[in-house]
Amino acid sequence: MDRVLRNSSTLTRTMTIHSLYIYDRHCICIYYQDWHRTRRPKPAVEGGILPAVSQAVAPPSTLATTSGQASGFTSPRDTLSSGSGIVVAVNDMSAQSPMTPLLQTPAPPIALSSTGLAFDEEAKLVYGVILSLRNMIKKLSGRDEQFVNYRTSAYKLHLYETPSGYKFVMLSDPNTDSLRFVLRQIYVGPFLEYVVRNPLVKMDSREHGIDNEYFRASIDRLVRGLSVFP
Amino acid sequence: MKAWVTTWTRLSETNNSKLQKSITTGTRRSLYNMAIFGLWVINKAGGLVYQRNFADGLAQLTSNEYLVLAGTLHGIHAITSRLSPMGSSSGAQVIEGETFKITILLTATGTKFVLLTSLTDTSADAILQKVYEIYADAVMKNPFHTPEMPIRSEGFDTRITALIGNGLGA
Repeated sequence: MDRVLRNSSTLTRTMTIHSLYIYDRHCICIYYQDWHRTRRPKPAVEGGILPAVSQAVAPPSTLATTSGQASGFTSPRDTLSSGSGIVVAVNDMSAQSPMTPLLQTPAPPIALSSTGLAFDEEAKLVYGVILSLRNMIKKLSGRDEQFVNYRTSAYKLHLYETPSGYKFVMLSDPNTDSLRFVLRQIYVGPFLEYVVRNPLVKMDSREHGIDNEYFRASIDRLVRGLSVFP
Repeated sequence: MKAWVTTWTRLSETNNSKLQKSITTGTRRSLYNMAIFGLWVINKAGGLVYQRNFADGLAQLTSNEYLVLAGTLHGIHAITSRLSPMGSSSGAQVIEGETFKITILLTATGTKFVLLTSLTDTSADAILQKVYEIYADAVMKNPFHTPEMPIRSEGFDTRITALIGNGLGA
């Protein structure tokens, strides 16, 4: 009965996906992206997040200083800077302008409010919650059972963990069904193609995130193509 | 004192017209894929004041381990309400693993009722609501109960048994 009611409500309501976090096995947030999100975190504090996680939540001062150093041939990556007409294969927090042709810039949401948390704090809280829930589910079940998702009145959080310890976390509308398959698709699709098979991305480095233009655009396409995305 | 408690318990048991209704809810549960594994009551400070296991299927933990898990759940519940990407949010209401889920009912006074069931179970919300009613009748109205302390009331136990039985609805 409850099930029937919930299903019928999914047909009438517009559902959506709010955000995606990726963590590596060292508990570090290495990627962040969001879509319709009305309640936003404040930018991360200096040193709170790694470079190349997300332009949207990076500390403001870092952005200003690093973009000043974007010229010169010191880094081999600069030969691929977007100024040369070739799209960058890796974002070093320096050369990327937010208006790249590959990325659809989302329309600014109408009413933005703040969560009151800096992004780095928020990322740590998300990680803390999934880690605690993961341990709780393992303990309660007494076997190697995974935590899958939780739901509140305003959102639903989904987790997919790879055998190598990467954790994909997605926040969506509370009425969506399990989005584990989407997280898996992101892993076997964009993640393998533009992160694992990208020699310019230093994986497992603890110093850099994995953000790059192709990866971001590819995830964006995948998410916008979903039936749950309005 | 002891005599008073017994008399009170018996008195509270006499107006159990609701009991019959609860039993019928119980028998509607399917024997195969719907199971209730456990019930917890967590006070507003995060302390576990009641814990009981029903159907088998989950690990049997020590009471100390349950205390720790309840405290963790209390903390997580508070954090989850702060992570909302859209407007204000309640704390976690349902937490799912691969074979079971945890349904949480937060009352206005901060007491949490937590039910561990199989994933396919659809009656968790209704059962928690009934548990809340029973709690109000058999615990809060009990003059010998100290608020926020572990629940030791035979009346509460009996009525929970009547509601949930062995957790399989048989």
